[in-house]
Amino acid sequence: MKTPRLSPQTLRVLERFIERPTAWRYGYELSRETGLKSGTLYPILMRLAKFSLLETKWVTTEDGVPPRHTYRLTPKGAELARAQQATSRSTARAAARARRPAFSGGKA
Amino acid sequence: MIPAAFPRSVAILLLRFAIWIAPHDTLDWGRGMLNELHHVEGNWSALIWAVGGAGVLAKHAVLALILPGSHRRTVSSASELFAKELPMRKATLTATAACIAASLLFFLAPVFRQAFQVSLAQWHDVFHVDQRWLGRGPDPELQALAQKAEQNHDAEALAFVAIRTENPSEAARLADEAVHLDANLTWVYAAVAVQYSYLSQIDRWVTDLKKYDPQNALPYFIVAEKIDIDAVSPKTNRPVFAKGIASGAESHENPIWQSAMAAAFLSPKLDTYLDRVKALDRKVLLRYHVDDPFQAMTDGYSWWRGLPSYSAWDSSRYAQSVFEAGEALEARGDREGALQKYSAAARFGQMMGSTDTFWVPRVAQEAYKRLASLSLQSANKEQSQLYAALADQADQTQKEEMVSRRNRFIGNEVSSWNAFLVRVSGVALLFSFGLLLVCAAGVIVRGKSLRLTALRPSPLTLGIGFTGALGTLLASAVLYVSYRPYSEIFQTFIRKGEDASLSDLASFLGATQIPLGADSFLGVYGAAYEFWGIVTVLCVLVLSFAVFLHFRHRRPAAASAV
Repeated sequence: MKTPRLSPQTLRVLERFIERPTAWRYGYELSRETGLKSGTLYPILMRLAKFSLLETKWVTTEDGVPPRHTYRLTPKGAELARAQQATSRSTARAAARARRPAFSGGKA
Repeated sequence: MIPAAFPRSVAILLLRFAIWIAPHDTLDWGRGMLNELHHVEGNWSALIWAVGGAGVLAKHAVLALILPGSHRRTVSSASELFAKELPMRKATLTATAACIAASLLFFLAPVFRQAFQVSLAQWHDVFHVDQRWLGRGPDPELQALAQKAEQNHDAEALAFVAIRTENPSEAARLADEAVHLDANLTWVYAAVAVQYSYLSQIDRWVTDLKKYDPQNALPYFIVAEKIDIDAVSPKTNRPVFAKGIASGAESHENPIWQSAMAAAFLSPKLDTYLDRVKALDRKVLLRYHVDDPFQAMTDGYSWWRGLPSYSAWDSSRYAQSVFEAGEALEARGDREGALQKYSAAARFGQMMGSTDTFWVPRVAQEAYKRLASLSLQSANKEQSQLYAALADQADQTQKEEMVSRRNRFIGNEVSSWNAFLVRVSGVALLFSFGLLLVCAAGVIVRGKSLRLTALRPSPLTLGIGFTGALGTLLASAVLYVSYRPYSEIFQTFIRKGEDASLSDLASFLGATQIPLGADSFLGVYGAAYEFWGIVTVLCVLVLSFAVFLHFRHRRPAAASAV
């Protein structure tokens, strides 16, 4: 199964989902948390759903207000998100090491 | 002051519209965005939210249109899909049909049909780039009229066609036939000769014209022009546009040219027969119910005013020789002789002034200045002042003529603007109609049937179709309103003979022939090549896309076969 292209914005969205993997999230809530506009956020959500990494559900919240569309990572999506998170953490550590001054290493 | 909730209302409308055109598999997402609007804080934030969401849905709608297979429907039946959108579909279909019907109603009006024809004139040079400098080619309507005229032995109609046809030998033949049938139409020789001074019949025609109207200077100008053309390009039948400006040396020294110009100088009058051309136009247009305003416009109305194209230049050159002769007489002390020479030049300038030429007012001005100077030398102050005033008047005439000529060349601003509107609305009409046709063809191809009940346009197709229908209606209305005043000028001329506004009509019709994108006749070539360049690029893109689609559909088929 192919995975969608993971842009920095997609990673930001995945990070938000992985914080509370079992919770259903609203579009506007995600937009506020990630700082992404609707025109950027929804294509990401739609792509994730297309690759079966995201599941959607209609939820009625209160009377007189239309039901809300909510989103949650599928197990496969959560797995991918965690893998990506681990990869980005190790990449960040490697980058930090590379930047560290070599006063104690083998350069002496 | 904008009400606070206005942006939110716009946002709701925008998203609803986007949902309406969105492909089915994105409907949930669209409704999700719409319902989230209730939770977005701030009206302007809601609008920004809707703009972003609508953009996403619109992108998917366009993709679904281009790549239909990429957004397959998952609903169980079409009726389920359309059930919720029925009122909007019905309203759009009704509005589209109403727009198309209203546009077709415009075509019932003869004025509109005429306007539509005029709006198409701009395409002539685009589709006949190779004939751009060879004239407009055979005009079928004119050819049909010539046939009718020959069958009916209608001398006036034959003369009408002879003046207009762009085939010189045909013009000569028809002119001869017309004069053969009615000798009173001998002046038609002049009207044809001023356009084609290189015709072999010219010598015979000039003899006939001199007999027909002995006091007129026009035949002598025709003789002089023929010599000018022979000097530039001897023994070749070159069309008028290909003539260069003669150096003047040969023709100027030719005794026949000298005697022709001397005779023109001495002629008591100059009649270019423009009034007779107009009267003839009216009769023939009415008799044969010709409804084409272009047929009422000859070059005489707008540019040469019925004179051979070299006449002004010839007059100026000959006047110069008269001035030189006057100076020689002055130098010998023969003031009376010089006075006669200058007076002849002034009289000639006055006579030619009525033809609206550019050089001739200069001749008159120069002649009056010399006369004023001579009078001053003879201590005749009053006469000197009179001549000085006449010189000023000639100067003023020249300035006015320059403005008038410039306006005739570029057309006055109102005519240019109306011509622009006619051209734009003509293009918009064709484009909108094209959109409608493409939508209709798409719906029929998808529905695989011509039965109305089987045709189910998608919301996007319906939207584009409605846009096309609305565009057709608006373009028709603008075309009608922009053209109507000129139709009235044309009709008033034909019915009542009023020709005061014909120059406006000529300017307008001249400007309507310039394709959009070209700012003048000189830019027509560039505009035509740009147009064909764009068409070529579009064709290549469409072809590439078709090849892409072909291989895209073949690949899954091949995979499933494996």
